[in-house]
Amino acid sequence: MNQPTVLRPHAEVEFAHELAALAATDTRERPPSWHLSPWAVVTYLMGGELADGTVISPKYIGSRRLMEIAVATLATDRALLLLGVPGTAKTWVSEHLAAAISGDSTLLVQGTAGTAEEQLRYGWNYARLLAEGPSAAALVPSPIQRAMERGAIARVEELTRMPGDVQDSLVTVLSEKSLPVPELGTEVQAVPGFNVIATANDRDRGVNDLSAALRRRFNTVVLPLPADVDEEVRIVQRRVAELGTALRLPDVPAGADEILRVVTIFRELRSGATEDGRISLKVPSGSLSTAEAISVVVGGAALAAHFGDGTLSAADVAAGITGAVVKDPVHDGVAWREYLEAVVRDRPGWGDFYEACRAL
Amino acid sequence: MHLLGVRHHGPGSARAVVRALEEVQPTAVLVELPADCEPALRWVADPHLVPPVALLGTVAGQPGRAAFLPFAEFSPEWQAFRWAVAHGAALRAVDLPLQHSLAHEPGDDGELLLADRAVADPLAELAAAAGDPDAERWWEDVVEHRGEGLAAFAAVAEAMAAVRGGWEAATTREAQREAYMRKVLRATLADGHKRIVVVCGAWHVPALAAPLPSAAVDARTLRGLPKVKVGVSWVPWTHRRLATVTGYGAGVRSPGWYAHVFRHPGDDGVARWFAGAARLLREHGMSASPDHLIAATRSADALAALRGRPRAGLEEMLDAADTVMAGSGGMALIHDQLVVGDAIGDVPDDAPQVPLARDLAAQQRSARLSPAAETKTVELDLRTPGGRTRSVLLHRVAALGVPWGTLTDGRGSSGTFRETWTVRWEPELAVRVIELSAHGTTVENAATSRLLERAAAASALADLVAVLDAALLADLPAVVQPVVTRLEAQAAHDPDVVQVMDALGPLARAQRYGDVRGTDASSLRRMFDGMVVRVVAGAVIACRSLDDDAAAVMVERLAATQAALGLVDHPARRSEWPAVMAIVCERADVHGLVQGRACRLLHDGGVWPRAKVGARLSRALAGGTPPAAGAAFVEGFLAGSGTVLVHDRELLEVVDGWVSTLAADAFVATAPLLRRTFGGFDPAERRQLGRLLGHHELDRSSGFGADVDPARAAAALLTVRQMLGAPA
Repeated sequence: MNQPTVLRPHAEVEFAHELAALAATDTRERPPSWHLSPWAVVTYLMGGELADGTVISPKYIGSRRLMEIAVATLATDRALLLLGVPGTAKTWVSEHLAAAISGDSTLLVQGTAGTAEEQLRYGWNYARLLAEGPSAAALVPSPIQRAMERGAIARVEELTRMPGDVQDSLVTVLSEKSLPVPELGTEVQAVPGFNVIATANDRDRGVNDLSAALRRRFNTVVLPLPADVDEEVRIVQRRVAELGTALRLPDVPAGADEILRVVTIFRELRSGATEDGRISLKVPSGSLSTAEAISVVVGGAALAAHFGDGTLSAADVAAGITGAVVKDPVHDGVAWREYLEAVVRDRPGWGDFYEACRAL
Repeated sequence: MHLLGVRHHGPGSARAVVRALEEVQPTAVLVELPADCEPALRWVADPHLVPPVALLGTVAGQPGRAAFLPFAEFSPEWQAFRWAVAHGAALRAVDLPLQHSLAHEPGDDGELLLADRAVADPLAELAAAAGDPDAERWWEDVVEHRGEGLAAFAAVAEAMAAVRGGWEAATTREAQREAYMRKVLRATLADGHKRIVVVCGAWHVPALAAPLPSAAVDARTLRGLPKVKVGVSWVPWTHRRLATVTGYGAGVRSPGWYAHVFRHPGDDGVARWFAGAARLLREHGMSASPDHLIAATRSADALAALRGRPRAGLEEMLDAADTVMAGSGGMALIHDQLVVGDAIGDVPDDAPQVPLARDLAAQQRSARLSPAAETKTVELDLRTPGGRTRSVLLHRVAALGVPWGTLTDGRGSSGTFRETWTVRWEPELAVRVIELSAHGTTVENAATSRLLERAAAASALADLVAVLDAALLADLPAVVQPVVTRLEAQAAHDPDVVQVMDALGPLARAQRYGDVRGTDASSLRRMFDGMVVRVVAGAVIACRSLDDDAAAVMVERLAATQAALGLVDHPARRSEWPAVMAIVCERADVHGLVQGRACRLLHDGGVWPRAKVGARLSRALAGGTPPAAGAAFVEGFLAGSGTVLVHDRELLEVVDGWVSTLAADAFVATAPLLRRTFGGFDPAERRQLGRLLGHHELDRSSGFGADVDPARAAAALLTVRQMLGAPA
């Protein structure tokens, strides 16, 4: 069957060939209901070459240790909490973990201030409820409930954005591995293989901290910002290429220099000092994550392709960078101007970028 | 004969050695240890010798040259000693005697000797061959976690033979050591021992395996070695010292963990360790429930399985603890207490004295400062060599962390060349000195090592400055440069200019009085200049938006900064700093107290003419300003002394006029503040002010009394004139 093209295919679809190759060569023991062994899951995330020659692309660029901890946690039926500042690939890792372990990354609850308990537990089909009274058929299962029934991984995004009382409805699910349905006098018991991956960021405003009871049921893995410029540049390059293909952008030369420049600017402003440690800088209020660096470069590439000369130039990224840095017009504006005058102006080879930013 | 190749300080090796000894029941146990340490081994039977301890070999008359050989409970050598003593087997030390090895590198303090042993680390090669970049982990997996007794040692011997490819040594030094080992081995065989066990580093196994080269070859290697006189003693050691990189203990990154592995080799070791971690966290008010323990234990096991290791190692334990108990902030605590650990060894009272204590006693004798239990006051004149020697000794002992003397009256009022110490030697201090013996063998290098340790641990600028101060006072030049380098980096990154300001004072004193003490303080100047720039740039911001308490601290800080600049006659004192003070004095968002003090500093520095100061003061006290702010300005301006008012009639009139024009309720509101300000003055000053305000006439003799001797006063006056450069 010919699948209709979608803007962003799920991980298990996009990397189906890699998962199939891993499953075929994976001889190690698999926990109940897992599609792959823990070792193969780590390989799927970190990349590598299999015995049959299939190349597995790296999904997470960073510490292998962290991925091992994450996978080992899921193998022990304790829930996994991925913590980190925005743009540290929490959601990305959670999606790929679910895809590799359960072959399904769609059992997803998105946490917002308006998330209600029904979205975590179960809801009702009211027409049926009124017509037939409470019955199993009138129940609308949540992604969590479906994951429990199937022994799959459920994902909860932005856990700390949910109100605290809604978060706490996860406690029973995580400790008893069961979901009581008092209206029917029954319960849904989880099948082996069920687990939860939650993500939360510790920087955003308006966050509801986890209760101690809930926190205790999670193992926490803190995803750090990329350790050095090279690592961050690699991440940006890889994602920009992938996104460029998905968005059918005309082929724009990679512009490694521009990517390095964007990443350098973001890192310097984020850490409040230049890379050589000589000049200290004001830190803007935005998170300036790797994810934002990626969108700046993709935006620049689109500009270059459609309106420019087809190569990514300083002028193409200048607007995007200014927009990413200056989130608060007063404070961030000062920080950005200071950075331009103190660092960018005198840095050899950055003259074109300085001019482009000034011209905005 | 059985050769047990071990990893020094490997807990698995230690267990395997004990098992092998039980299996073989040897009549003689040979251990890789300098042969002249053998007499000291008789103390092993003493129950008061508790590991971690170290054997300390020192060259007689040169306490700076020494070698430490530490043993923990989990050291294979230590277990071999214990077994031999308990079972009545002959115990022999087989390594090249210290009297030869310490004679080798003149002017060196043992590091070289020890590095020699570290070089002979063959594990890295084997591990690399097995494809594991981490040699320690590899050895742990392959040998330590298995521990199959003699069979394991046979495998080690085989592997080492493959790595070395024969008995020939790699360096001359190693050749000498191994020749000596063979010599002792032959002698033991000649004594008729049938069952012999040799415990030595895995690397040396091939060199001792039969067939041995002929005795004549070894005798030739050992002929004519240089020789010095060496004293050997036991000293208490600590797990923390084992974990530091220097010395024989190199590479033991986790002694606390090793001790745990040694004591609990079974499957319950993982759970036990987490239970200990949980207890530790609870003691420090963090939450750690049994549920956490279960989860951590399972995570560690799962990680070990995922990483293909036979059982959870330290890495897995820490990862599991981190992920399960994340956010409790306890990881640093766990590392400090459990991975490294606090264990301190003990040495019997009748064991020979340690060199540090001997060196201290010698220095106390030569400085004629005998340790006594009663409290004594010592006055030192730093201009005399004797006074300096004593001062340096007292400062060094203080830097060591032995509270023998306290400086009661430093460079404050009694001048810069005088020190007053209160000294008292408590018996506990002797114990403290022995504990510190691990830091060095002389007071000088032990104090240096302690200060460098403190500097490495210091995070605040003020702590680093304190270390620098201590180093200069104690005349420990080896500390100065590293601390100055760290200070520079710290000052550049410290976001808080207040800390930098606080650092200026001690640094200025260090520069100014470094010369008095004959220490070289030239490298300080550059750093000082850099810090002044930062202070000038940040002072105005630091003075803004302060509450009453913060303002009270800030005025002292401003005065101290000005004094520091004056002390070294810094150029910024004449231009940049007054400009900053002028801004502070005029800014509306600065606390009145701070404005007042800034105004006063400008007045004292002669930057603002009197008329301008008067104008500023009257503006602060003008009708529009709230009376409380005016009172704060006056308090800041007067800075605890009324002298400026006594000598400046105009300023006094400004203040007087302000007080007289206050409305009744405003006066009641400001009276307590004024009372506080004026109450702090000298009685004589208050009396003079009273007179001035009452009769408008100054009592000239006031403050001195009626019995001034004109002849003696004239002599003093002459000196004052000279100091001021006025004609006599």
